[in-house]
Amino acid sequence: MNMFVQILILLLSACQAMAVNASADAPSLSQVVDMRQPVIVKLFGAGAGSLDSYGTGVLVSKEGHVLTVWNHLVSTGFLTAVTADGRRFQVETVGTSRDQDVALLKLKADGSETFPFIDLTQAKDPEVGSTIYAFSNMFRVAAGNEPVSVVHGVIAARVPLEAKQGRWTFPVKSPVWLIDAITNNSGAAGGLLTDANGAPVGLIGREIRHAASRTWVNYAVPLTTLASVVEALQTGQKVDSKRKDPAADVAMVSDQELTAKFGITMLPNVVERTPAYVDNIVAGSLAQTSGLQRSDLIVLVNDAVITSVSDFQQQLATYRSGQRVSLTVNREQELKLIELRIP
Amino acid sequence: MPYIELHFRAAGRVVLLALISMLAAVDCVSAQQSIAEREAARVETIRRISPSVVCVMAPNGEGGGSGVLISADGYAISNYHVTSGSGSFMKCGLSNGKLYDGVIVGIDPTGDVALIQLQGRTDFEFARPGDSDQVRVGDEVMALGNPFLLASDFTPTVTYGIVSGVRRYQYPANTFLEYTDCIQIDASINPGNSGGPLFDIQGRWIGINGRASFEKRGRVNSGAAYAISVNQVQLFIEHLKCGLIVDHGVPEFTVETVDGEVVVSQVAEVSEAWRRGLRPRAQIVSFAGRVVTSANDFQNVLGIFPEGTRLPLSWRDKDGQHNATIRLRPLHAFQKAPELPDERQQEPDGHPETPEESQPGKEAPDKLPESLTRLFVERDGFCNYYFNEVQQQRLLNPLRERVGSLGKAGSGWKIGLAASGAAPVLSGELTLGSAAAGLKLNNVPFLQNADDPLPSEEPPQLPGFLTAMLQLRRLLSGDKAAFNEQVAMGRTWHLPLAKNVDVLLTREGARTCRWYFADGAPLPVGVDVEYGQGIDEARLLFQDWADRGGAVFPGRVGMVSGEKEVLTWLTVGDISVK
Repeated sequence: MNMFVQILILLLSACQAMAVNASADAPSLSQVVDMRQPVIVKLFGAGAGSLDSYGTGVLVSKEGHVLTVWNHLVSTGFLTAVTADGRRFQVETVGTSRDQDVALLKLKADGSETFPFIDLTQAKDPEVGSTIYAFSNMFRVAAGNEPVSVVHGVIAARVPLEAKQGRWTFPVKSPVWLIDAITNNSGAAGGLLTDANGAPVGLIGREIRHAASRTWVNYAVPLTTLASVVEALQTGQKVDSKRKDPAADVAMVSDQELTAKFGITMLPNVVERTPAYVDNIVAGSLAQTSGLQRSDLIVLVNDAVITSVSDFQQQLATYRSGQRVSLTVNREQELKLIELRIP
Repeated sequence: MPYIELHFRAAGRVVLLALISMLAAVDCVSAQQSIAEREAARVETIRRISPSVVCVMAPNGEGGGSGVLISADGYAISNYHVTSGSGSFMKCGLSNGKLYDGVIVGIDPTGDVALIQLQGRTDFEFARPGDSDQVRVGDEVMALGNPFLLASDFTPTVTYGIVSGVRRYQYPANTFLEYTDCIQIDASINPGNSGGPLFDIQGRWIGINGRASFEKRGRVNSGAAYAISVNQVQLFIEHLKCGLIVDHGVPEFTVETVDGEVVVSQVAEVSEAWRRGLRPRAQIVSFAGRVVTSANDFQNVLGIFPEGTRLPLSWRDKDGQHNATIRLRPLHAFQKAPELPDERQQEPDGHPETPEESQPGKEAPDKLPESLTRLFVERDGFCNYYFNEVQQQRLLNPLRERVGSLGKAGSGWKIGLAASGAAPVLSGELTLGSAAAGLKLNNVPFLQNADDPLPSEEPPQLPGFLTAMLQLRRLLSGDKAAFNEQVAMGRTWHLPLAKNVDVLLTREGARTCRWYFADGAPLPVGVDVEYGQGIDEARLLFQDWADRGGAVFPGRVGMVSGEKEVLTWLTVGDISVK
């Protein structure tokens, strides 16, 4: 027999063996569900107005790192996580990425504890049209140790997403997965997208509308693009690109106006994202009569999440004189609602 | 390998290449074939199950939802929130394009289930139930129904999806429309799907689609919908056939989740659970045979059973593990069908642009023919009393016929009794008259009067026995007015008989009896008699019914009593009737 035939025979038999293995190893959906449910955590925090007080996260390290979307749940603090076995953990924020719209959290657990997790280096980029499954605690259907919801669909496209939520623009520039399963639901953000074999594919995105069509978009950020981000956040590195201060182009209530008209002095805005703490309140001012106090951390203006002093100043500038706004503040680990009429 | 090598060597290079490409082609063809086969199987399944799907509309054609036929004689299940909008009579469209009259039979407002009966045929095609306890997350499912009232010829719309969650708990709206132990699916569920069947991919009926998480998009599919499990529906079907407003039950204690355990927080002191020894801080291990680890788990088990069901309960406390059975007490005891809460009012389920002509049967309810209107009898505490009378007669006519075959029974019965295998040995003589019952038990006399029995007059070895015997004598009189009230109550799993029994409830004064009938026999297999608040009911079993000395009487009477629920059998000896 000549060499060519021998090689072909070898190749052929190898291919057949692989084909047989592939079909024997292809897990059923219940196997995929059983395999992936343990890495999903239910997140509970503070909501306000139309913002939900619950969400989803995915365990990405055995030490208990949890990847989720950087939305109001993370920004307002008070997060707790419930693992698949029903145990409740306090959560700390390890790092965030504005560019990738993700937050890396960590469960506060005894150092010896190990968690089931997905290995982001094993993330897959499936073909458009591939079957996907989406795991999330949408609508908070599952409580305690109950397994989160699973919905099915296919990948519809891999495209850059132009989407908005109020004045906030979806920051991820690289393409995302668009899917035909409905994941644009309360509490689904931060859930896990897998392929038919359970391989990690994406992090389910938030409740936003497409900028052009105004339709609710079902999307997920590819995990292949997040592996390095998570690694950097884990080691405390900054991952976001240096950008021109976006505040420069945006209207904002100046420090002087804030003190003169509202009677509020904020913490000096010395670092890039100074948290929006109230440093002082002018006696007899609008702020004082409204009930605002020194050391309050402003977390929401109406439904808009406030992550920094300049955020707060910009947000206030979007209202006209005479309009009513409600401020949600964190005061000694409790959320208070304060009504304010714009002077 | 040797064979293939040989073959290839002979065949040569060209043939080999051809073979490889052929193999690849075969592989591709077989993949396509299997997809085509699956599709063909699905199409065939849908063709088979579609005739069981009902489009349920009000008589004037307004509103509407879905339903599913469950028997050839036209019984169909739907949602309470669908039928409550259509009144006592409805129009029902089937996939053959024909419209049938329907009448409301029974409702379960708490579980959001309703039973209707389609008229005009005895050969309706109906759905075959599967076992919803076997449904797993990821199973393929199909929802059939009439969303947006799209099909003016009633051909059901099919939506496909997977099971997203099982054993889900969805809170009630107000105090009813509570979804316990339900199946969550991602198949599209829209207004109009309500009441329609959920099938597994083999076409077995596994649920009733009734609810979805609606939010920012309005009342349209959001990828999270809920179906009442068919196993829950099955536990209510025979109750619903009795024309009842079927109630759910309470266990008379409350629980909370503490560190992954179900812990009792409060127990009513007049409850059966209290008498069996359940106290606050005990840990519930299992309920109705299911291990429970959260308050949601417990609620999921509780919610699938009708009021009056007796269920096993296991708990642990400082003294160890305990097992008992408790009867669920009524949750609501509705006298009238409750109004739907505002947020569940049936919106016009039709598509906003639904044209007027898609509203068939513009017949005012008062124009209905007598053949239809006679199928509805209004009565407090019932959904449709007509169907209760039908079921009462089904149970009582054979009994009366059997008892009456002896002619008029004498007024006084003297019955010899002896306990087999009981320690201490029991023996005695029972005298049953119309006004009183006397028992000489191990030579100690007991006397109970029939009109106003006192629990204190019962023999301590057999508490409630005399009251129960007086009630039995009334039943066996065959007299239509034997009791103040009698109600057919459906079917329940009987403990300790461990079989399904039909229940006839009778009331007389403060005494409530549940008579159990099984296997088509005319005489009861047992009775549970409530004869006082805060005391255990008398639980009796009957065996070996026969004509004995001029009366129809069982040859053996069993009695369940005591904290350990011990069953004692009494053998009936000589009977003399005066």
